[in-house]
Amino acid sequence: MSEQCGRGFDGALLSGWLDGALTQADEQRVRIHLEDCDTCRSQVEQMRRFREVIMSTEFAVPPDDQWSERPRGAASRLSLGAGWIIVAVWALALGGYAAWEVWTSDEPLMGKLIVFGGWTGFGLLFLGVLLDRLQAMKTDRYREVEK
Amino acid sequence: MALPRPGVTPPAPTANSDSRLLVQAQAGGREAREELARRMRGPAYVLALQLVGNREDALDVAQDALLRLFVHLGRVAPDRPLRPWLFAIVRNRARDLWRRRTARPNESLDARPDLSAHLAAQAGDPEQETARRQLARRVWSAIGGLSRSHREILVLRDFHDLTYAEIAGTLDIPLGTVMSRLHAARSALRGRLEADGGRHV
Repeated sequence: MSEQCGRGFDGALLSGWLDGALTQADEQRVRIHLEDCDTCRSQVEQMRRFREVIMSTEFAVPPDDQWSERPRGAASRLSLGAGWIIVAVWALALGGYAAWEVWTSDEPLMGKLIVFGGWTGFGLLFLGVLLDRLQAMKTDRYREVEK
Repeated sequence: MALPRPGVTPPAPTANSDSRLLVQAQAGGREAREELARRMRGPAYVLALQLVGNREDALDVAQDALLRLFVHLGRVAPDRPLRPWLFAIVRNRARDLWRRRTARPNESLDARPDLSAHLAAQAGDPEQETARRQLARRVWSAIGGLSRSHREILVLRDFHDLTYAEIAGTLDIPLGTVMSRLHAARSALRGRLEADGGRHV
C-alpha cells in the first residue's frame, strides 16, 4: 500500500491513533486527515483487524503438572551459593592458619618466601576473578529487572 | 468516513487481584504465592513461545523467569502491574538463550519460527471457527517471520495488551521509540501478509 498520501505527519501516528496513545493535538490532526484519506484509513482499518485477530488467539499452554515435574534450578542454585560461601570461608581460615604456621615455623627464609610467593600468586588470581565478577554484577544490564 | 477512535486500553481485569495476591505472597502467604504462580505461568509461557518459537525452550525460559520473579518478589512494588515486570524477565531470558544458541550453530534457534503451529483449538461454530482459525494461522505465521525486535514489540502490544509505557519498561527503550517501532512492526506484518496473498485479511 502506498505511503505517499501527502499527510503532513509521521506515519507512526497512525499506530498511536489506533492505540489511543496520542496527545490531543496529534489525535485531532490524525482524525482530520483520516476523514479525507482513503489510503491511511484503509491502513488503520487493516492494522485494527490484525490486532483483533491477534488478540482473539489462544495458545496451547502446558498443563500445571508439567511445570512442577520439570527439573527446577532453585535448590541447585541455593546449594551452589551456599557452597561457594562455605568454600571461601574455609579457604580463608585454612590459608590463614597455614600461613601463620609457616611463618612461625623454623623453616629457612627462602622456604618461607617460596611458600608465600605461591600463595600470593594464587591469592591475586582469585582476587582478579572476584573483582571481574563484581564488575560484571555492577554493569549487568538486567540487574534492575531482576531486583 | 470517520473511524471510531479506540480508547486507551483499560487495565487487565485481574490487575487488582494480582496486586492483592502479590502483597499476600510478599508477606509469606503460601497459597497466594501458588495462585500467583498459576496465574503467571500462562502469560510467561506464551510470551516465551512467541519469542523463542518452540515449546521446550519456551517452557525453560518461562520457568526460569518465574523462578527469578519469585526469588526477587520482595522487591516488586505492589502498586505496579506485575506482568510487565515478569515480561521483562522473560524477554531478557529469551535474549540470553538466543545469544547462547548463536554461539552454538548446531543448536541455534529458528529465527523465523512458525508460531501458528502452537495455536489452541477454540470452541464455536465449526465453519466460523475454521475461517477464523485459518486467518489466525496466516497472521501468526507472518508474525513468526518478523524480525525479533518487531515480533517482540508487536506481541507485547497487540497480544499481551501492554500500554506504551509498560512496553518501554519491558524492552528498556525510550517511550518515544515505542510508537515508531510498533508502527514499523505493524507495517512489516502488513507487508508480509500482502506478499503472502493476504490482501483481503
